[in-house]
Amino acid sequence: MKGLLPEQLENLDCEIILGNTYHLGNRPGTDVLEKAGGLHKFMGWNRALLTDSGGFQMVSLLQLAEITEEGVKFKSPYDGSETMLTPERSIEIQNSIGADIIMQLDDVVQTTNQNYERNKEASERTSRWLDRCLKAHKRPTEQSIFPIVQGLLNNTLREQSAKEHMTKDVNGFAIGGLSGGEAKDDFWPMVSLSTGILDKNKPRYLMGVGVAIDLVVCVALGVDMFDCVFPTRTARFGCALVNKGQLSLKQKKYETDLNPIDKDCTCSTCLNYTRAYLHSIVTVETVSCHLLSVHNIAYQMRLMRTMRENIENGTFPAFVQQFVNEVYPNGQYPTWVVNSLSSVGINLCHL
Amino acid sequence: MRFNIKQVNCGSERIGSLTGFIKSSKTIIETPTAALLTQGCSVVHLTAEVLAKVFPDTQLLWLPLSNSVQLENGVKAQGEGVAKFAGLPKHVICATLYNINEIVPPGHFELGKLPLWTKNGKKMITADKYMDLMETFKPDIILAASDGRISLNEKPKRIVKSVERTMALLDSCINKYKASEELQQSSLVGVIVAANIPHKCEECIRHILKYKETLVGVALAGLTDGSKESYEVSLDKLKEIFSRVGGSLPNDLLRIVEGSWNPAVIVTAIEHGWDVFDGSYPIKLTNKGHALSLNFDVYRYSGDPCIMDLNDIRYNEDFKPILEGCECLTCKKHTRAYIRHLLNTREMLASVLLSIHNLHHFNEFFVQARLHISASTFNIYKKHIITQYENINPKLDNEEDKTAPTLVQDKKKIKVRIGDNVKTEVNGTIIK
Repeated sequence: MKGLLPEQLENLDCEIILGNTYHLGNRPGTDVLEKAGGLHKFMGWNRALLTDSGGFQMVSLLQLAEITEEGVKFKSPYDGSETMLTPERSIEIQNSIGADIIMQLDDVVQTTNQNYERNKEASERTSRWLDRCLKAHKRPTEQSIFPIVQGLLNNTLREQSAKEHMTKDVNGFAIGGLSGGEAKDDFWPMVSLSTGILDKNKPRYLMGVGVAIDLVVCVALGVDMFDCVFPTRTARFGCALVNKGQLSLKQKKYETDLNPIDKDCTCSTCLNYTRAYLHSIVTVETVSCHLLSVHNIAYQMRLMRTMRENIENGTFPAFVQQFVNEVYPNGQYPTWVVNSLSSVGINLCHL
Repeated sequence: MRFNIKQVNCGSERIGSLTGFIKSSKTIIETPTAALLTQGCSVVHLTAEVLAKVFPDTQLLWLPLSNSVQLENGVKAQGEGVAKFAGLPKHVICATLYNINEIVPPGHFELGKLPLWTKNGKKMITADKYMDLMETFKPDIILAASDGRISLNEKPKRIVKSVERTMALLDSCINKYKASEELQQSSLVGVIVAANIPHKCEECIRHILKYKETLVGVALAGLTDGSKESYEVSLDKLKEIFSRVGGSLPNDLLRIVEGSWNPAVIVTAIEHGWDVFDGSYPIKLTNKGHALSLNFDVYRYSGDPCIMDLNDIRYNEDFKPILEGCECLTCKKHTRAYIRHLLNTREMLASVLLSIHNLHHFNEFFVQARLHISASTFNIYKKHIITQYENINPKLDNEEDKTAPTLVQDKKKIKVRIGDNVKTEVNGTIIK
């Protein structure tokens, strides 16, 4: 995590953090990781780790990638050299890294790609690559592979992908191919479709989501795990997360605001620092990145904890109503929020 | 605040303590010691939470106005001083006009005004304005405004001018100080310049000593302008200066040395009765990816270099801590290989881990110095440290700090990287 010590993450109640296979495979590389005894030991983190397969880089570094049935050929942005990432190689690297949960290599297509043929190819290839990943996995008792449901926004393809994955003996499932810029009205039905098919007794992990309202809605739709760069990335741009959105602390109006970011937050940043002070160092001193990262992570953790407590107490629908009111204080709830929640029996009342 | 000397040895090295701080009467800061460099009144790279893991006790912090002036409105609004505003209420602040180690364009002086190079460009500041800001900031110790960012190689004409300016600035600062009860809650320090022109230096000292009853101590500036060349001055030359200037001062004044001097220079100064040092050296090392690893066992010769360049590929698979036996968080939980990887991938955590180690270790260097002074074995310790610096690759020691945030060059556009942000600066004014 950018700039934070493992100790600080433990104090924030982080239980699991995500590492990226493509980047770690390059630097420091599998040799160093193996000699160190795995990523846990290398970075000094004693809790859980999850590695993504390197698949997302197919989309994010698309200029540099060539995808075939064999695998993905990447051109390094640093020196132009080529590496081939096959399902077998991805699992091999992930075995070296040693994360507790590892992801299959999937054929990832841009969410906004309209081409049905390409979508079908990717979705079906993902299933074939899943088989190759499962076969290549050398540490099945120590590391759990999660398959990734693809199919983008196509009902049939997504259903097919999910059902195919359900035939495998795995400990959890991931839902992929979403949160890539598609419209929210198209996004939530796909989440719902996926959670409807995937095993209710195993964790369902929605990749790349998200901001607070997305998290709340998707928990309502039956998702258990998420990952997102947003909290720490926005921290580095000087933004602090609160229920109603973000505070952009660079703005002049915070220059003499002596409140903490959030008076209900108990993170070390909110207990020791004011918005005014953060404003004075934001984007100038590295300390500001660290302070905002601590707060934003604390915010995410508190949100998830609050949801768990409400679910256990049977008060989840009331919580959702209250939360949605905070995010949209003028009562103008977006249609996707209303529809997705009502699909699971949470009917929002307007103020 | 009071400065008390506890022990003086036959060389002039001495142990002392700073006590009687208005905000925390129980705090004791032992000397010789270094003040931790801050930017925006935070210790560089370390949040209050992490700082407390390195130093559970109260620390002396070095606050240059040049990198903290933007806090003015916020501090004023809160009304409780800059330490409280910056989330470090129990720490002791020593404020000065600029960070002498930043490289800035020369000149730009006007009558009665000094240039202050900040992240928002150049601000012209008078002694009166400086003291007004100090009244708002409420530091525990204030160094008088001065014209001290000058290397020992500078031309005599410039040095003579600096003496005139520094004396005039001190007069103004004293007047403001005496007229303000608020300011008198802080302690004032006079600044000595022109150290290598003896008769001018004596003039400067005589002028300061006129105000001896009002001041708690003196600071020695005019030794460096932050450039690589200015740090290449010989140890013998510095020794002569520390000795001569120290000898001209009454013993009961606190003595501060400005400049990012390495431990070999510091022990030389301590030997001649200097007490407090500007703590920017460990940060300079951190910003280059270097770790300080002095050997403190005076009875054992160690061939290992006292500075490690952790960028070097040789540490790629080195799973030892930076320094075996070091009690800092970085050495207890992390390895050289990991830090090297973080440096290689330009991760901010590298700076955090290195700062933790370097600040801890630099502090240990002073702890050891005080122990040796107590035991009257300081001479042995001094030689032991100097030897370690004689053996290192000079390239590791004297390079300029290219990552200092307000590094500016005259008329040249340069890009400075801070975290993920890249800014472009010309003549100290940020244009992007």
